[in-house]
Amino acid sequence: MKELLSIEGLSKSYKSIRAIHNLHLLISEGQSFGILGPNGSGKTTTLSIITGIIRQDSGSFKWFGEEPVSEHRKSIGSLIESPHFYPYLNLEKNLRIICDIKGISYKDIPRVLEMSRLIQRRKSRFSTLSLGMKQRLGLAAAMLGDPQVLVLDEPTNGLDPEGIAEVRELVNNQVGIGKTLILASHILSEVEKICSHVAILKKGELLANGPVRELLAEDEIIEVSCRDNQLLKRKLGSSGLVSEIEEENGVLVLTLKERVTAHEINAFAFSCNLVLHHMLSRKRSLESQFLELVKEES
Amino acid sequence: MRKLLHTEQIKLFNYNPFRITIALYLVAFTLGILIYPAIDKEIPVISLSDLFRFPDVWLFLAWITEPYNAVLALVVIMITTKEFSDHTFKTQVVFGLSRTDLLLQKLLSIAFLSLFAMLLVGLTSLALGLIYSYKLTLKIALENTWILGKYLLAAFSYMTIGLMVALLIKNTALSLITFLALRVFVDPVLWLLLRNHEIRWYLPFRTITRLTPVPDLIEIFQRKMNSAEPIDEATMDILPKGLPEWLNVLMVILYTSLVIYGCYRLLQRRRFT
Repeated sequence: MKELLSIEGLSKSYKSIRAIHNLHLLISEGQSFGILGPNGSGKTTTLSIITGIIRQDSGSFKWFGEEPVSEHRKSIGSLIESPHFYPYLNLEKNLRIICDIKGISYKDIPRVLEMSRLIQRRKSRFSTLSLGMKQRLGLAAAMLGDPQVLVLDEPTNGLDPEGIAEVRELVNNQVGIGKTLILASHILSEVEKICSHVAILKKGELLANGPVRELLAEDEIIEVSCRDNQLLKRKLGSSGLVSEIEEENGVLVLTLKERVTAHEINAFAFSCNLVLHHMLSRKRSLESQFLELVKEES
Repeated sequence: MRKLLHTEQIKLFNYNPFRITIALYLVAFTLGILIYPAIDKEIPVISLSDLFRFPDVWLFLAWITEPYNAVLALVVIMITTKEFSDHTFKTQVVFGLSRTDLLLQKLLSIAFLSLFAMLLVGLTSLALGLIYSYKLTLKIALENTWILGKYLLAAFSYMTIGLMVALLIKNTALSLITFLALRVFVDPVLWLLLRNHEIRWYLPFRTITRLTPVPDLIEIFQRKMNSAEPIDEATMDILPKGLPEWLNVLMVILYTSLVIYGCYRLLQRRRFT
Protein backbone atom coordinates (compact mmCIF):
# COMPACT_ATOMS: atom_id res chain seq x y z
CA MET A 1 0.00 0.00 0.00
CA LYS A 2 1.20 3.52 -0.78
CA GLU A 3 2.33 5.72 2.06
CA LEU A 4 -0.20 8.44 2.85
CA LEU A 5 1.08 10.13 5.96
CA SER A 6 4.38 9.67 7.69
CA ILE A 7 5.07 11.35 11.00
CA GLU A 8 8.62 11.44 12.27
CA GLY A 9 9.68 12.56 15.73
CA LEU A 10 6.85 15.07 16.09
CA SER A 11 6.92 17.05 19.35
CA LYS A 12 4.80 19.92 20.59
CA SER A 13 4.61 21.65 23.97
CA TYR A 14 2.32 24.36 25.27
CA LYS A 15 4.62 26.21 27.66
CA SER A 16 5.44 23.61 30.32
CA ILE A 17 2.83 21.11 29.12
CA ARG A 18 4.15 18.46 26.77
CA ALA A 19 1.36 17.69 24.31
CA ILE A 20 3.18 15.17 22.10
CA HIS A 21 6.69 13.86 22.31
CA ASN A 22 8.74 12.25 19.57
CA LEU A 23 5.76 10.73 17.81
CA HIS A 24 6.37 8.35 14.90
CA LEU A 25 3.47 7.06 12.80
CA LEU A 26 3.02 5.68 9.35
CA ILE A 27 -0.41 5.59 7.73
CA SER A 28 -0.98 3.96 4.37
CA GLU A 29 -3.61 4.66 1.74
CA GLY A 30 -6.83 2.77 2.26
CA GLN A 31 -6.35 2.25 5.99
CA SER A 32 -8.91 3.28 8.55
CA PHE A 33 -6.56 4.44 11.25
CA GLY A 34 -7.69 5.23 14.77
CA ILE A 35 -5.74 7.43 17.15
CA LEU A 36 -6.91 6.44 20.57
CA GLY A 37 -6.11 7.96 23.90
CA PRO A 38 -7.60 9.51 27.00
CA ASN A 39 -8.23 13.25 27.18
CA GLY A 40 -4.98 15.20 27.00
CA SER A 41 -3.09 12.41 25.29
CA GLY A 42 -2.17 14.55 22.27
CA LYS A 43 -4.69 13.29 19.69
CA THR A 44 -6.07 16.69 18.75
CA THR A 45 -2.62 18.26 18.81
CA THR A 46 -1.40 15.61 16.37
CA LEU A 47 -4.32 16.19 14.01
CA SER A 48 -4.03 19.97 14.40
CA ILE A 49 -0.39 19.81 13.31
CA ILE A 50 -1.03 17.62 10.29
CA THR A 51 -3.91 19.88 9.20
CA GLY A 52 -1.86 23.08 9.53
CA ILE A 53 -3.70 24.68 12.43
CA ILE A 54 -0.67 24.68 14.69
CA ARG A 55 3.03 24.23 14.12
CA GLN A 56 5.17 21.56 15.70
CA ASP A 57 8.18 22.42 17.85
CA SER A 58 10.27 19.70 16.24
CA GLY A 59 9.94 16.69 13.97
CA SER A 60 8.31 16.52 10.59
CA PHE A 61 5.50 14.92 8.64
CA LYS A 62 4.79 14.22 5.01
CA TRP A 63 1.52 13.93 3.11
CA PHE A 64 1.59 11.67 0.04
CA GLY A 65 5.37 11.39 0.50
CA GLU A 66 5.84 15.15 0.06
CA GLU A 67 6.60 18.06 2.35
CA PRO A 68 3.25 19.43 3.56
CA VAL A 69 1.76 22.34 1.60
CA SER A 70 -1.70 23.90 1.72
CA GLU A 71 -2.61 22.19 -1.59
CA HIS A 72 -2.52 18.81 0.21
CA ARG A 73 -5.17 20.00 2.64
CA LYS A 74 -7.46 20.84 -0.27
CA SER A 75 -7.54 17.17 -1.19
CA ILE A 76 -8.24 16.03 2.38
CA GLY A 77 -11.58 16.25 4.15
CA SER A 78 -11.05 17.31 7.74
CA LEU A 79 -13.15 17.87 10.82
CA ILE A 80 -11.05 18.96 13.77
CA GLU A 81 -12.89 19.17 17.10
CA SER A 82 -16.18 21.06 16.71
CA PRO A 83 -17.06 22.35 13.27
CA HIS A 84 -16.78 26.13 12.98
CA PHE A 85 -18.58 28.01 10.26
CA TYR A 86 -19.90 31.53 9.73
CA PRO A 87 -22.91 31.65 12.09
CA TYR A 88 -24.74 34.33 10.09
CA LEU A 89 -24.47 32.50 6.76
CA ASN A 90 -26.78 29.72 5.67
CA LEU A 91 -25.46 26.21 5.09
CA GLU A 92 -25.23 26.61 1.35
CA LYS A 93 -23.19 29.82 1.58
CA ASN A 94 -20.91 28.31 4.19
CA LEU A 95 -20.25 25.36 1.89
CA ARG A 96 -19.68 27.72 -1.04
CA ILE A 97 -16.82 29.25 0.89
CA ILE A 98 -15.31 25.78 1.39
CA CYS A 99 -15.82 25.03 -2.33
CA ASP A 100 -14.00 28.26 -3.22
CA ILE A 101 -11.13 27.36 -0.90
CA LYS A 102 -10.87 23.84 -2.28
CA GLY A 103 -11.34 25.04 -5.84
CA ILE A 104 -14.29 22.76 -6.56
CA SER A 105 -17.67 23.30 -8.16
CA TYR A 106 -20.73 24.36 -6.15
CA LYS A 107 -22.54 21.47 -7.84
CA ASP A 108 -21.23 19.12 -5.15
CA ILE A 109 -23.08 20.98 -2.37
CA PRO A 110 -26.51 19.29 -2.76
CA ARG A 111 -24.82 15.84 -2.78
CA VAL A 112 -23.08 16.33 0.57
CA LEU A 113 -26.12 18.03 2.11
CA GLU A 114 -28.23 15.11 0.98
CA MET A 115 -25.69 12.64 2.36
CA SER A 116 -25.68 14.36 5.73
CA ARG A 117 -29.47 14.75 5.64
CA LEU A 118 -29.33 18.53 5.84
CA ILE A 119 -30.75 19.32 2.42
CA GLN A 120 -33.99 20.61 3.96
CA ARG A 121 -32.02 23.05 6.10
CA ARG A 122 -29.77 24.37 3.34
CA LYS A 123 -31.21 27.88 3.65
CA SER A 124 -30.98 27.93 7.47
CA ARG A 125 -28.29 29.91 9.19
CA PHE A 126 -25.51 27.87 10.75
CA SER A 127 -26.28 29.42 14.15
CA THR A 128 -29.78 27.89 14.13
CA LEU A 129 -28.55 24.28 13.85
CA SER A 130 -28.51 21.81 16.72
CA LEU A 131 -25.18 20.38 17.86
CA GLY A 132 -25.78 17.16 15.95
CA MET A 133 -26.65 19.04 12.78
CA LYS A 134 -23.53 21.18 13.12
CA GLN A 135 -21.47 18.05 13.43
CA ARG A 136 -23.15 16.61 10.34
CA LEU A 137 -22.47 19.83 8.44
CA GLY A 138 -18.82 19.52 9.49
CA LEU A 139 -18.80 16.07 7.95
CA ALA A 140 -20.60 17.33 4.85
CA ALA A 141 -17.93 20.01 4.43
CA ALA A 142 -15.23 17.39 4.90
CA MET A 143 -16.79 15.30 2.14
CA LEU A 144 -17.02 18.15 -0.39
CA GLY A 145 -15.15 17.24 -3.53
CA ASP A 146 -15.26 13.57 -2.56
CA PRO A 147 -11.76 13.48 -0.99
CA GLN A 148 -9.98 10.14 -0.74
CA VAL A 149 -8.74 10.96 2.76
CA LEU A 150 -10.82 11.92 5.79
CA VAL A 151 -9.29 13.28 8.99
CA LEU A 152 -11.84 13.31 11.78
CA ASP A 153 -11.30 14.37 15.36
CA GLU A 154 -13.90 13.09 17.81
CA PRO A 155 -16.70 13.26 15.22
CA THR A 156 -19.32 12.01 17.68
CA ASN A 157 -18.39 14.39 20.47
CA GLY A 158 -21.38 15.82 22.29
CA LEU A 159 -23.96 13.95 20.23
CA ASP A 160 -26.96 12.05 21.53
CA PRO A 161 -27.12 8.28 20.86
CA GLU A 162 -29.12 8.79 17.69
CA GLY A 163 -26.65 11.40 16.45
CA ILE A 164 -23.72 9.11 17.27
CA ALA A 165 -25.29 6.28 15.29
CA GLU A 166 -25.92 8.61 12.33
CA VAL A 167 -22.38 9.95 12.26
CA ARG A 168 -20.88 6.48 12.64
CA GLU A 169 -22.99 5.21 9.79
CA LEU A 170 -21.87 8.11 7.63
CA VAL A 171 -18.20 7.47 8.44
CA ASN A 172 -18.54 3.71 8.05
CA ASN A 173 -20.05 4.20 4.60
CA GLN A 174 -17.02 6.24 3.57
CA VAL A 175 -14.64 3.59 4.89
CA GLY A 176 -16.74 0.98 3.12
CA ILE A 177 -16.10 2.59 -0.24
CA GLY A 178 -12.35 2.45 0.30
CA LYS A 179 -11.50 5.89 1.64
CA THR A 180 -8.60 6.43 3.98
CA LEU A 181 -9.74 7.47 7.42
CA ILE A 182 -7.72 8.98 10.24
CA LEU A 183 -9.94 9.08 13.28
CA ALA A 184 -9.03 10.44 16.70
CA SER A 185 -11.24 9.33 19.51
CA HIS A 186 -11.28 8.53 23.18
CA ILE A 187 -14.27 6.24 22.64
CA LEU A 188 -12.81 2.78 22.38
CA SER A 189 -15.83 1.10 20.89
CA GLU A 190 -15.86 3.71 18.13
CA VAL A 191 -12.31 2.89 17.08
CA GLU A 192 -13.01 -0.82 17.47
CA LYS A 193 -16.05 -0.59 15.19
CA ILE A 194 -14.64 1.70 12.52
CA CYS A 195 -10.89 1.27 12.34
CA SER A 196 -8.61 -1.43 11.00
CA HIS A 197 -5.49 0.03 12.61
CA VAL A 198 -4.96 1.86 15.86
CA ALA A 199 -2.31 3.91 17.61
CA ILE A 200 -2.70 4.37 21.34
CA LEU A 201 -1.40 7.60 22.83
CA LYS A 202 -0.90 8.62 26.40
CA LYS A 203 0.51 11.94 27.60
CA GLY A 204 1.80 12.56 24.10
CA GLU A 205 3.68 9.27 23.81
CA LEU A 206 2.86 6.38 21.53
CA LEU A 207 2.09 3.29 23.63
CA ALA A 208 1.04 0.83 20.96
CA ASN A 209 0.46 0.83 17.23
CA GLY A 210 -0.83 -1.83 14.88
CA PRO A 211 -3.85 -3.58 13.38
CA VAL A 212 -6.83 -3.59 15.73
CA ARG A 213 -7.26 -7.35 15.16
CA GLU A 214 -3.67 -8.07 16.17
CA LEU A 215 -3.85 -5.90 19.24
CA LEU A 216 -7.03 -7.67 20.23
CA ALA A 217 -5.54 -11.10 19.65
CA GLU A 218 -2.41 -10.41 21.60
CA ASP A 219 -3.64 -12.22 24.72
CA GLU A 220 -6.28 -14.85 24.83
CA ILE A 221 -8.52 -14.91 27.85
CA ILE A 222 -10.54 -17.93 28.98
CA GLU A 223 -12.94 -18.56 31.79
CA VAL A 224 -12.68 -21.89 33.62
CA SER A 225 -14.15 -23.48 36.71
CA CYS A 226 -14.04 -26.89 38.41
CA ARG A 227 -15.05 -28.40 41.76
CA ASP A 228 -12.00 -26.79 43.49
CA ASN A 229 -11.21 -23.44 41.92
CA GLN A 230 -8.68 -22.52 44.62
CA LEU A 231 -6.62 -25.66 43.96
CA LEU A 232 -6.79 -25.06 40.21
CA LYS A 233 -5.69 -21.45 40.76
CA ARG A 234 -2.65 -22.60 42.78
CA LYS A 235 -1.72 -25.26 40.23
CA LEU A 236 -2.11 -22.89 37.24
CA GLY A 237 -0.17 -20.20 39.09
CA SER A 238 2.93 -22.38 39.13
CA SER A 239 2.36 -23.98 35.72
CA GLY A 240 3.90 -21.19 33.61
CA LEU A 241 0.91 -21.37 31.24
CA VAL A 242 -0.91 -18.23 32.36
CA SER A 243 0.24 -14.68 32.95
CA GLU A 244 -2.71 -13.62 35.09
CA ILE A 245 -5.51 -15.27 37.08
CA GLU A 246 -8.53 -13.41 38.38
CA GLU A 247 -11.66 -14.63 40.10
CA GLU A 248 -14.89 -13.33 38.72
CA ASN A 249 -18.38 -14.52 39.72
CA GLY A 250 -17.25 -18.02 40.74
CA VAL A 251 -15.05 -18.59 37.68
CA LEU A 252 -11.36 -18.13 37.08
CA VAL A 253 -10.46 -15.69 34.34
CA LEU A 254 -7.13 -16.73 32.87
CA THR A 255 -4.90 -14.63 30.62
CA LEU A 256 -2.93 -17.15 28.61
CA LYS A 257 0.69 -16.70 27.83
CA GLU A 258 1.70 -16.37 24.19
CA ARG A 259 1.04 -19.49 22.11
CA VAL A 260 -0.71 -21.29 25.00
CA THR A 261 -4.08 -22.69 23.93
CA ALA A 262 -7.27 -23.47 25.82
CA HIS A 263 -6.71 -27.14 24.95
CA GLU A 264 -3.43 -27.13 26.90
CA ILE A 265 -5.19 -25.63 29.95
CA ASN A 266 -7.81 -28.34 29.81
CA ALA A 267 -5.14 -31.05 29.53
CA PHE A 268 -3.17 -29.52 32.39
CA ALA A 269 -6.22 -29.43 34.69
CA PHE A 270 -7.01 -33.04 33.83
CA SER A 271 -3.41 -34.04 34.65
CA CYS A 272 -3.99 -32.49 38.11
CA ASN A 273 -7.12 -34.62 38.52
CA LEU A 274 -9.34 -31.60 38.10
CA VAL A 275 -12.14 -31.87 35.58
CA LEU A 276 -13.27 -28.53 34.16
CA HIS A 277 -17.04 -28.19 34.07
CA HIS A 278 -16.94 -24.68 32.60
CA MET A 279 -14.67 -23.38 29.89
CA LEU A 280 -15.29 -20.29 27.77
CA SER A 281 -12.93 -18.46 25.49
CA ARG A 282 -13.41 -14.73 25.43
CA LYS A 283 -11.54 -12.15 23.45
CA ARG A 284 -10.22 -9.28 25.43
CA SER A 285 -12.00 -6.13 24.41
CA LEU A 286 -10.00 -3.22 23.12
CA GLU A 287 -11.23 -1.31 26.15
CA SER A 288 -9.49 -3.61 28.61
CA GLN A 289 -6.41 -3.69 26.39
CA PHE A 290 -6.42 0.07 26.26
CA LEU A 291 -6.97 0.53 29.98
CA GLU A 292 -4.25 -1.97 30.73
CA LEU A 293 -1.79 -0.29 28.40
CA VAL A 294 -2.50 3.08 29.89
CA LYS A 295 -2.26 1.66 33.43
CA GLU A 296 1.03 -0.11 32.73
CA GLU A 297 2.68 3.05 31.55
CA SER A 298 1.59 5.24 34.44
CA MET B 1 -7.04 35.61 -6.06
CA ARG B 2 -10.52 35.88 -7.60
CA LYS B 3 -11.73 33.03 -5.38
CA LEU B 4 -10.31 34.73 -2.30
CA LEU B 5 -12.11 37.94 -3.17
CA HIS B 6 -15.30 36.00 -3.79
CA THR B 7 -15.20 34.31 -0.36
CA GLU B 8 -14.65 37.73 1.22
CA GLN B 9 -17.65 39.08 -0.69
CA ILE B 10 -19.87 36.27 0.62
CA LYS B 11 -18.68 36.90 4.17
CA LEU B 12 -18.95 40.69 4.10
CA PHE B 13 -22.14 41.33 2.19
CA ASN B 14 -24.08 38.90 4.36
CA TYR B 15 -22.71 40.23 7.64
CA ASN B 16 -25.20 42.68 9.15
CA PRO B 17 -22.76 44.68 11.34
CA PHE B 18 -20.68 45.28 8.19
CA ARG B 19 -23.69 46.47 6.22
CA ILE B 20 -24.85 48.70 9.07
CA THR B 21 -21.40 50.25 9.62
CA ILE B 22 -20.99 50.96 5.92
CA ALA B 23 -24.49 52.50 5.87
CA LEU B 24 -23.55 54.67 8.88
CA TYR B 25 -20.31 55.62 7.11
CA LEU B 26 -22.32 56.76 4.10
CA VAL B 27 -24.76 58.70 6.27
CA ALA B 28 -21.90 60.38 8.17
CA PHE B 29 -20.16 61.14 4.89
CA THR B 30 -23.29 62.75 3.41
CA LEU B 31 -24.06 64.73 6.57
CA GLY B 32 -20.44 65.87 6.66
CA ILE B 33 -20.84 67.34 3.19
CA LEU B 34 -24.27 68.84 3.84
CA ILE B 35 -23.08 70.64 6.95
CA TYR B 36 -20.73 72.97 5.05
CA PRO B 37 -23.37 75.05 3.25
CA ALA B 38 -24.98 75.57 6.68
CA ILE B 39 -21.70 76.83 8.18
CA ASP B 40 -21.33 79.08 5.18
CA LYS B 41 -24.26 81.24 6.30
CA GLU B 42 -22.43 82.10 9.51
CA ILE B 43 -19.28 83.37 7.80
CA PRO B 44 -19.51 86.72 6.00
CA VAL B 45 -17.48 87.56 2.87
CA ILE B 46 -15.89 84.13 2.61
CA SER B 47 -18.01 81.45 1.01
CA LEU B 48 -17.21 77.83 1.76
CA SER B 49 -18.99 76.89 -1.41
CA ASP B 50 -15.95 78.31 -3.20
CA LEU B 51 -14.14 75.24 -1.95
CA PHE B 52 -16.65 73.05 -3.79
CA ARG B 53 -15.49 74.43 -7.13
CA PHE B 54 -13.01 72.83 -9.49
CA PRO B 55 -10.13 72.36 -9.01
CA ASP B 56 -10.16 72.98 -5.21
CA VAL B 57 -13.02 70.59 -4.51
CA TRP B 58 -10.76 67.54 -4.92
CA LEU B 59 -8.34 68.73 -2.23
CA PHE B 60 -11.02 70.06 0.08
CA LEU B 61 -13.15 66.94 0.02
CA ALA B 62 -10.15 64.65 0.45
CA TRP B 63 -9.18 66.69 3.49
CA ILE B 64 -12.60 66.85 5.19
CA THR B 65 -13.43 63.17 4.57
CA GLU B 66 -10.05 61.83 5.65
CA PRO B 67 -11.21 61.15 9.25
CA TYR B 68 -13.84 58.75 7.88
CA ASN B 69 -11.04 56.37 6.99
CA ALA B 70 -10.89 55.58 10.71
CA VAL B 71 -14.43 54.18 10.40
CA LEU B 72 -13.24 51.86 7.63
CA ALA B 73 -10.36 50.76 9.85
CA LEU B 74 -12.92 49.91 12.54
CA VAL B 75 -14.80 47.83 9.94
CA VAL B 76 -11.60 45.91 9.19
CA ILE B 77 -11.07 45.30 12.91
CA MET B 78 -14.63 44.05 13.24
CA ILE B 79 -14.46 41.60 10.34
CA THR B 80 -11.03 40.29 11.35
CA THR B 81 -11.69 39.74 15.03
CA LYS B 82 -14.99 38.08 14.07
CA GLU B 83 -12.93 35.41 12.28
CA PHE B 84 -11.14 34.75 15.56
CA SER B 85 -14.28 34.66 17.69
CA ASP B 86 -16.06 32.34 15.23
CA HIS B 87 -12.88 30.23 14.81
CA THR B 88 -13.31 30.51 11.05
CA PHE B 89 -9.63 31.24 10.36
CA LYS B 90 -9.08 27.71 11.66
CA THR B 91 -11.76 26.27 9.37
CA GLN B 92 -10.27 27.99 6.32
CA VAL B 93 -6.79 26.70 7.11
CA VAL B 94 -8.06 23.16 7.68
CA PHE B 95 -9.76 23.20 4.28
CA GLY B 96 -6.66 24.37 2.48
CA LEU B 97 -5.97 28.09 2.74
CA SER B 98 -2.39 28.94 3.58
CA ARG B 99 -1.67 31.56 6.22
CA THR B 100 -0.42 33.83 3.45
CA ASP B 101 -3.81 33.37 1.73
CA LEU B 102 -5.51 34.51 4.94
CA LEU B 103 -3.50 37.73 4.85
CA LEU B 104 -4.07 38.17 1.14
CA GLN B 105 -7.80 37.72 1.67
CA LYS B 106 -7.94 40.52 4.22
CA LEU B 107 -5.70 42.77 2.13
CA LEU B 108 -8.07 42.27 -0.79
CA SER B 109 -10.97 43.37 1.41
CA ILE B 110 -8.95 46.40 2.46
CA ALA B 111 -8.10 47.20 -1.16
CA PHE B 112 -11.78 46.86 -2.06
CA LEU B 113 -12.85 49.19 0.76
CA SER B 114 -10.09 51.67 -0.15
CA LEU B 115 -11.31 51.75 -3.75
CA PHE B 116 -14.85 52.20 -2.53
CA ALA B 117 -13.81 55.15 -0.33
CA MET B 118 -11.76 56.69 -3.12
CA LEU B 119 -14.60 56.34 -5.63
CA LEU B 120 -17.03 57.84 -3.15
CA VAL B 121 -14.81 60.89 -2.61
CA GLY B 122 -14.05 61.08 -6.33
CA LEU B 123 -17.65 60.92 -7.48
CA THR B 124 -18.86 63.30 -4.75
CA SER B 125 -16.11 65.79 -5.66
CA LEU B 126 -17.06 65.50 -9.31
CA ALA B 127 -20.74 66.07 -8.56
CA LEU B 128 -20.08 69.06 -6.27
CA GLY B 129 -17.61 70.49 -8.76
CA LEU B 130 -20.15 70.27 -11.55
CA ILE B 131 -22.80 71.94 -9.40
CA TYR B 132 -20.75 74.77 -7.93
CA SER B 133 -18.20 75.66 -10.65
CA TYR B 134 -18.73 78.75 -12.84
CA LYS B 135 -16.02 78.07 -15.36
CA LEU B 136 -15.86 74.52 -16.51
CA THR B 137 -13.02 73.26 -18.64
CA LEU B 138 -11.63 69.76 -18.66
CA LYS B 139 -8.23 71.05 -17.63
CA ILE B 140 -9.57 72.85 -14.57
CA ALA B 141 -11.90 69.99 -13.68
CA LEU B 142 -9.16 67.39 -13.72
CA GLU B 143 -6.54 69.50 -11.96
CA ASN B 144 -5.75 68.10 -8.49
CA THR B 145 -7.35 64.70 -9.16
CA TRP B 146 -3.98 63.19 -8.21
CA ILE B 147 -5.15 63.64 -4.60
CA LEU B 148 -7.43 60.62 -5.11
CA GLY B 149 -4.36 58.39 -5.42
CA LYS B 150 -3.09 59.72 -2.10
CA TYR B 151 -6.55 59.28 -0.59
CA LEU B 152 -6.49 55.64 -1.70
CA LEU B 153 -3.10 55.17 -0.05
CA ALA B 154 -4.31 56.87 3.15
CA ALA B 155 -7.40 54.65 3.36
CA PHE B 156 -5.34 51.53 2.67
CA SER B 157 -2.75 52.46 5.30
CA TYR B 158 -5.37 53.21 7.95
CA MET B 159 -7.02 49.87 7.40
CA THR B 160 -3.78 47.88 7.45
CA ILE B 161 -3.06 49.39 10.88
CA GLY B 162 -6.55 48.27 11.90
CA LEU B 163 -5.79 44.78 10.57
CA MET B 164 -2.58 44.55 12.55
CA VAL B 165 -4.29 45.65 15.77
CA ALA B 166 -7.00 43.00 15.18
CA LEU B 167 -4.48 40.24 14.48
CA LEU B 168 -2.49 41.21 17.53
CA ILE B 169 -5.34 41.50 20.02
CA LYS B 170 -7.98 39.17 18.50
CA ASN B 171 -10.74 40.51 20.73
CA THR B 172 -13.19 42.90 19.01
CA ALA B 173 -13.84 45.37 21.84
CA LEU B 174 -10.21 45.54 22.93
CA SER B 175 -9.00 45.97 19.37
CA LEU B 176 -11.47 48.80 18.69
CA ILE B 177 -10.47 50.55 21.93
CA THR B 178 -6.77 50.12 21.17
CA PHE B 179 -7.12 51.49 17.66
CA LEU B 180 -9.15 54.48 18.81
CA ALA B 181 -6.71 55.10 21.66
CA LEU B 182 -3.81 55.09 19.21
CA ARG B 183 -5.58 57.47 16.87
CA VAL B 184 -7.30 59.79 19.32
CA PHE B 185 -4.98 59.75 22.30
CA VAL B 186 -1.47 58.34 21.67
CA ASP B 187 -0.86 60.13 18.38
CA PRO B 188 -1.96 63.63 19.58
CA VAL B 189 -0.05 63.24 22.86
CA LEU B 190 3.13 62.24 21.03
CA TRP B 191 2.56 65.13 18.64
CA LEU B 192 2.41 67.54 21.58
CA LEU B 193 5.39 66.01 23.36
CA LEU B 194 7.48 66.25 20.23
CA ARG B 195 6.27 69.73 19.27
CA ASN B 196 9.79 71.15 19.20
CA HIS B 197 11.23 68.29 17.20
CA GLU B 198 11.08 67.73 13.48
CA ILE B 199 10.66 64.00 14.14
CA ARG B 200 6.97 64.62 14.98
CA TRP B 201 6.27 64.80 11.25
CA TYR B 202 7.36 61.15 11.01
CA LEU B 203 4.66 59.87 13.39
CA PRO B 204 2.74 57.19 11.42
CA PHE B 205 -0.76 58.63 11.76
CA ARG B 206 0.58 62.11 11.07
CA THR B 207 2.17 61.02 7.81
CA ILE B 208 -1.09 59.36 6.77
CA THR B 209 -3.25 62.42 7.53
CA ARG B 210 -0.70 64.62 5.75
CA LEU B 211 -1.36 62.68 2.55
CA THR B 212 -4.56 64.72 2.25
CA PRO B 213 -3.52 67.96 3.98
CA VAL B 214 -5.53 71.10 4.65
CA PRO B 215 -5.86 72.89 1.31
CA ASP B 216 -4.14 76.26 1.11
CA LEU B 217 -7.29 78.16 2.11
CA ILE B 218 -5.59 81.54 2.23
CA GLU B 219 -4.37 81.16 -1.31
CA ILE B 220 -7.82 80.00 -2.43
CA PHE B 221 -9.65 82.98 -0.90
CA GLN B 222 -6.98 85.38 -2.04
CA ARG B 223 -7.41 84.04 -5.54
CA LYS B 224 -11.14 84.54 -5.21
CA MET B 225 -10.74 88.15 -4.16
CA ASN B 226 -8.20 88.73 -6.95
CA SER B 227 -5.81 90.19 -4.41
CA ALA B 228 -2.24 90.67 -5.59
CA GLU B 229 -1.05 91.54 -2.12
CA PRO B 230 1.58 89.13 -0.92
CA ILE B 231 0.68 87.17 2.18
CA ASP B 232 2.89 88.07 5.09
CA GLU B 233 5.21 85.53 6.72
CA ALA B 234 3.21 85.36 9.95
CA THR B 235 0.07 84.32 8.08
CA MET B 236 1.96 81.69 6.15
CA ASP B 237 3.21 80.20 9.43
CA ILE B 238 -0.37 79.27 10.34
CA LEU B 239 -0.26 76.58 7.71
CA PRO B 240 1.53 73.43 8.81
CA LYS B 241 4.59 72.62 6.73
CA GLY B 242 5.66 69.08 7.45
CA LEU B 243 7.72 66.76 5.32
CA PRO B 244 8.19 67.26 1.59
CA GLU B 245 5.35 65.59 -0.26
CA TRP B 246 7.48 62.84 -1.82
CA LEU B 247 9.07 61.98 1.54
CA ASN B 248 5.67 61.88 3.22
CA VAL B 249 4.34 59.44 0.58
CA LEU B 250 7.49 57.36 0.90
CA MET B 251 7.13 57.20 4.70
CA VAL B 252 3.50 56.05 4.42
CA ILE B 253 4.49 53.35 1.91
CA LEU B 254 7.30 52.29 4.25
CA TYR B 255 5.03 52.18 7.32
CA THR B 256 2.33 50.29 5.42
CA SER B 257 4.85 47.75 4.15
CA LEU B 258 6.14 47.25 7.71
CA VAL B 259 2.61 46.83 9.04
CA ILE B 260 1.80 44.25 6.31
CA TYR B 261 5.01 42.38 7.14
CA GLY B 262 4.02 42.50 10.83
CA CYS B 263 0.60 41.04 9.93
CA TYR B 264 2.31 38.31 7.91
CA ARG B 265 4.58 37.38 10.83
CA LEU B 266 1.65 37.41 13.25
CA LEU B 267 -0.42 35.11 11.04
CA GLN B 268 2.48 32.73 10.51
CA ARG B 269 2.91 32.36 14.26
CA ARG B 270 -0.77 32.32 15.27
CA ARG B 271 -2.21 29.19 16.74
CA PHE B 272 -5.78 28.88 15.48
CA THR B 273 -7.95 27.33 18.17
